[in-house]
Amino acid sequence: MRSKGVAGLLFAVIASFTIVPLVTLFARSSGDGWLSVVASPEALWALRNTLLTAAGAAGFAFFVGVPIAVVLERTDVPWARAARVMLTLPSAIPPYVWAMGWVALANPRAGLLNLVLGPGTLDIYGVAGIAFVLGGAGLPLVVLPTSAALARVDSSLEEAARLSGASVWRTLLTVPLPLALPASLSGTALVFLYSASSFGAPYILGVSASPPTPTLTTRMYSEVLMGADGLHRAAVLSAELVVLAVGVLALNAVLSRSNKAALSLSKGFTRRPLPLGRARIVVTATITMIICMIIILPLLAVFLTSLEPNWGQLKGLGFSHWRAVLSNARTVSATVRSIVLSVSAAVLVTGLGLAIAMTRRKWLETMGDAVFALPGTVFALALLVTFSRDVRFIAFEQVAFVVALGNTLTLLLIAYVAKHLAYGIRNLGDGFSQLDPSLAEAARLGGASVGRAFVDAVVPQLRGPLTTALMLTFLTCMTELTVSVLLVPSGSEVLGTLVFELQSYADPGAAAVIACAFVVMVIVMMIGIAAVSRPRRALGAP
Amino acid sequence: MAATVELVGVEKRYGVTPVVRGVSLKVEAGSLLALLGPSGCGKTTTLRLIAGLEQPDAGTISIAARVVDGPGTRVAPEKRGLGMVFQSYAVWPHRSVEQNVAYPLVLQKRSRDEIATRVAEALGWVRLGGLGERMPQQLSGGQLQRVALARALVANPSVLLLDEPLSNLDVSLREELRGEIAALRARLGTTTILVTHDQGEALALADSVAVLRAGVIEQWASPSVTFHEPATAFVASFVGGANVLEGHAESGVFTWGNLRFSLPDELKGISGRGTLAVRPESLEVSVDGDGPRAVLAARLFAGSFVEYRFSVGDAVLRAIGQPIESAQPGALLRLRVLRAWFFATP
Repeated sequence: MRSKGVAGLLFAVIASFTIVPLVTLFARSSGDGWLSVVASPEALWALRNTLLTAAGAAGFAFFVGVPIAVVLERTDVPWARAARVMLTLPSAIPPYVWAMGWVALANPRAGLLNLVLGPGTLDIYGVAGIAFVLGGAGLPLVVLPTSAALARVDSSLEEAARLSGASVWRTLLTVPLPLALPASLSGTALVFLYSASSFGAPYILGVSASPPTPTLTTRMYSEVLMGADGLHRAAVLSAELVVLAVGVLALNAVLSRSNKAALSLSKGFTRRPLPLGRARIVVTATITMIICMIIILPLLAVFLTSLEPNWGQLKGLGFSHWRAVLSNARTVSATVRSIVLSVSAAVLVTGLGLAIAMTRRKWLETMGDAVFALPGTVFALALLVTFSRDVRFIAFEQVAFVVALGNTLTLLLIAYVAKHLAYGIRNLGDGFSQLDPSLAEAARLGGASVGRAFVDAVVPQLRGPLTTALMLTFLTCMTELTVSVLLVPSGSEVLGTLVFELQSYADPGAAAVIACAFVVMVIVMMIGIAAVSRPRRALGAP
Repeated sequence: MAATVELVGVEKRYGVTPVVRGVSLKVEAGSLLALLGPSGCGKTTTLRLIAGLEQPDAGTISIAARVVDGPGTRVAPEKRGLGMVFQSYAVWPHRSVEQNVAYPLVLQKRSRDEIATRVAEALGWVRLGGLGERMPQQLSGGQLQRVALARALVANPSVLLLDEPLSNLDVSLREELRGEIAALRARLGTTTILVTHDQGEALALADSVAVLRAGVIEQWASPSVTFHEPATAFVASFVGGANVLEGHAESGVFTWGNLRFSLPDELKGISGRGTLAVRPESLEVSVDGDGPRAVLAARLFAGSFVEYRFSVGDAVLRAIGQPIESAQPGALLRLRVLRAWFFATP
């Protein structure tokens, strides 16, 4: 069968840039002395920091996100829609931007909040700061699935509790909360994974901490910079991180299975918000405050930083950085490079996603999801180890062709595509499953060839998923740091690594200018995605 | 424990749309009131107002002589001491049958022993003994309905509110549960308010029936009075399914479109414009008797009787009678009004 051949080809192409490098990486890590690497004090320290920051972030996202979702979804709190939209923002903006904002707000010496509260009151560096920033950035991963589960709860379940004698708060605790809990916990597990895999934020907030607080990912980066021996140690640490990730995903799979239980037994579905009464003002104020603290304050701080003539100086604010950055040759070339890479990646991801969706092979989809869930640092390291010149790769005959990829932008592009293939597969897979096959069949019966029917009848129906996949991949690649920082060829920075360089070593003001541009781009793209993914009403439905 | 419920001039609007318009009612302690009407008539809203799930825009509601809604007074639903069975049952899917039923008692901080005893007792009332450990997903629709009923009754509420409790069940189960609710109520003597669009349910269970239309009570009376002496043409049509003919009466003849019916003796004296309400069983169908002729549109066999449908202009006339062999769709048959009510147009 032809589709079998296509599926096989797709598998071979994807596997050679995902499975093969990972196997190589693990072969590399299982060499002599892996135990001594894992058990070394530095590695244990990094593991401890990863576990603490990821658990802290997950806890923060859970204890802040779940109550917010419950209140926004089930009560008559005002502006719930606006708040829900705002709360999708944290995970759309790369975590290092939030970290930059918080460095400006709460670094112990000159943080803006410390200027108000007294020097040294707040210290964003270290485990607690990293956990807080990543927890805030990961908030949507808890809020969105919890809200989705809560939206399926019939109001009469709550009203039955009230008639039984429960107050509004008691009702929220006994009915919607337990019903949404599996979804919340699954989201919390994802925050843990997201935080443990994160690189930029823990680097910015960990390296300058006293004592320095490396996590597994930042430690791996430092090891890679040290050369061949370091590469081996990094490979061992990446195996450790993968074991952690697989454990969390397995837990998540168990949780999402129990989430499938029917949420509502009723037929006539109704939703009426529970009245908060006098508590409405307090609740509204609390939610506004949390949104301000997690979203608005750090973004304002980044903007303010971009206006400061010298970092931490509030006198003489102006656009000098903006002019300097926008006319800087380094910025311009990085921008061009990022745009070319991101557009290519978006097109490839969408095209491959379409091809995979059309084969309707579940295992190909699973493969895409697995790479997406893999920590970016691990994946980049696998490509680095496999395709760098130092490594003899003897399994296949095509070695000569493969080796040439080392230290090129092509390898970076391959990494972008493989890492974000899930965007294409997920969106187009969903799009295909909702497709009405009779429309293409009607085109065929009307005289169209297979290809013509596809273009005329199928593609227009997939416009939403196609656009979403393109924009999402473009957006993520434009701001990508974790993979880029390991794979970017020397002398050809992309925007993510440029921001990282500027923020960490040179000029936070200039970094803030680019970060501001990122934020604007994210917001514009999100509005675009929301516009195309708005469900079109089916014909004949009321 | 049974309490009276009293509504005085209760009004409720959603935005600018009035839903309940000046409803006044009184339910005696221990009796059952049925709120009957078509969908959208405001019956469920009235029940939700009594429950405290909605707040009235005007009027007062009292339960056991205590004002729960009124000028400056609002008692939260959880403080009204009510039991309610929802149309959707609202059995919590994450709690076992026992945990569902025990919930009101847990909130009253009863002792563990007392809760166990009373939950077992309540499950006995609804014949669910032995199913306490089950999760709601493992129950049938009828069983879920019983769980909801046990949960509503377990804390000995002063008033039991039933919102279309039987409408999601199939016919045979509905009959069975209707009997059980009647028996249970007779035993416990709880004041009960039942919302239904099923006139059979209302007439069978209620001590008094309030027929609502567009947020207004059209008639509030005993089931027998409601059935035999409808106060308005709407009540006659909704309770008993009467044909409603708007026309003109003069010297013993009622003219409706092209049809001229001679009126039964007790209505010979009427005259003027008005509405004639004729139950299907009071409209006699014959091949060559008295009365105007109409075209038979459909003939529906219903076992012990046959329903005839005549299309007259835009309207449909329904008649119930014995089978007539020659009566096939398209046939011209004669119609005679045996009994009717006349409501003069004001």
